[in-house]
Amino acid sequence: MKPTEEINTLLVKYWNGDTSLEEEDILTKYFSGEDVANELKSYAALFQYRKKLRCATLNDDFDRKLKKAIRQKNRENDYITIRIFVPALRIAASVAVVLALSFGAYKMIGKSDKNYFAETYSDPNAAMKHATFALDKLSEALQKGKEASIESIRELNKIDLDWEVLDSITEPDTNYQKSTNSLPLENNL
Amino acid sequence: MHITVTFSTVNRHLRMNSDIFNQSVLPLKDKLYRLALSIVKDRTEAEDIVQDVFLKIWSKQDEWELIDNVEAYCYRSIKNLSFDRLESMAARSAEKYNAEMDNMMFIDTKNPHTAFVEKEQIDIIFRCVEKLSENQRMVFQLREIEGMSYKDIAKSLDMSEELVKVSLFRARRKIKELLEELNK
Repeated sequence: MKPTEEINTLLVKYWNGDTSLEEEDILTKYFSGEDVANELKSYAALFQYRKKLRCATLNDDFDRKLKKAIRQKNRENDYITIRIFVPALRIAASVAVVLALSFGAYKMIGKSDKNYFAETYSDPNAAMKHATFALDKLSEALQKGKEASIESIRELNKIDLDWEVLDSITEPDTNYQKSTNSLPLENNL
Repeated sequence: MHITVTFSTVNRHLRMNSDIFNQSVLPLKDKLYRLALSIVKDRTEAEDIVQDVFLKIWSKQDEWELIDNVEAYCYRSIKNLSFDRLESMAARSAEKYNAEMDNMMFIDTKNPHTAFVEKEQIDIIFRCVEKLSENQRMVFQLREIEGMSYKDIAKSLDMSEELVKVSLFRARRKIKELLEELNK
């Protein structure tokens, strides 16, 4: 088979989408050469286009820019991580303080409970006996106090006092003293 | 002590990931750049897209284990980001596109006449490629320029192999017709 015939066969396959990558490379190589048949020259541009466009590359500056951008990105990520964790740490610290205060308060209340509500009697009759005795003693003391107070007031009333003279010495409000002939305490008893 | 150990582990992890990145992702930069360029038709924009995709991959190191094909993943990311950018960019004229490509490619040692003829011919192909649909253009790019298999193209563009073959067949047919029409 002549080279041109072979190329024509490959071209038919190419237009039909049946060529392999190797066959397409053969076509590219043929059309990039100097000996392209006149009747096939109209297709040469397509294969030259393939070859030329493969030369489009990024320049060396790209890697430098990318490295710089990646470094920047890493720094941003670190900053974001710190910013995410700082509020979390603050919350954790606040929770710890609240828990500590709650625990302290609980302990203190627990201690107070023991002092105020601790059971000291196991026998209710004994408790009642002691309570009755204590209340009798209290009542007796109060009664004695009352009697002593009444006696003291009676003794005071027996004394012949000139209230007008006393009022002029002690109280400037004469109206109040004139309305009472005895001490206020006596009226209450 | 605990903090020192943790940072040391992180640094080792970072170094390891840096090696993986340099070996598996970075070598794809030119292929990815060409795909982005074929979509946005702007060299600076295409470069930015590649950088953004690389940064996105770098910042998602925890998800690397879930990626079964890094190359296909990169191509899909480039494709998606390029189309997003394209929407936000002002529509570019064919003249602008050709000027961009001229600056990029035609540094040639051939004599001025040959270089001029060649430029004219390749200019025709640019115009033909512009007339292809989105899918056809991307399949054409990955097959003709990057020399990828149908299977890899299908994975990279998230489409079936059958659709890849059909798109390539239609793209080549259309270019053939346009070339024959132009050369009449």
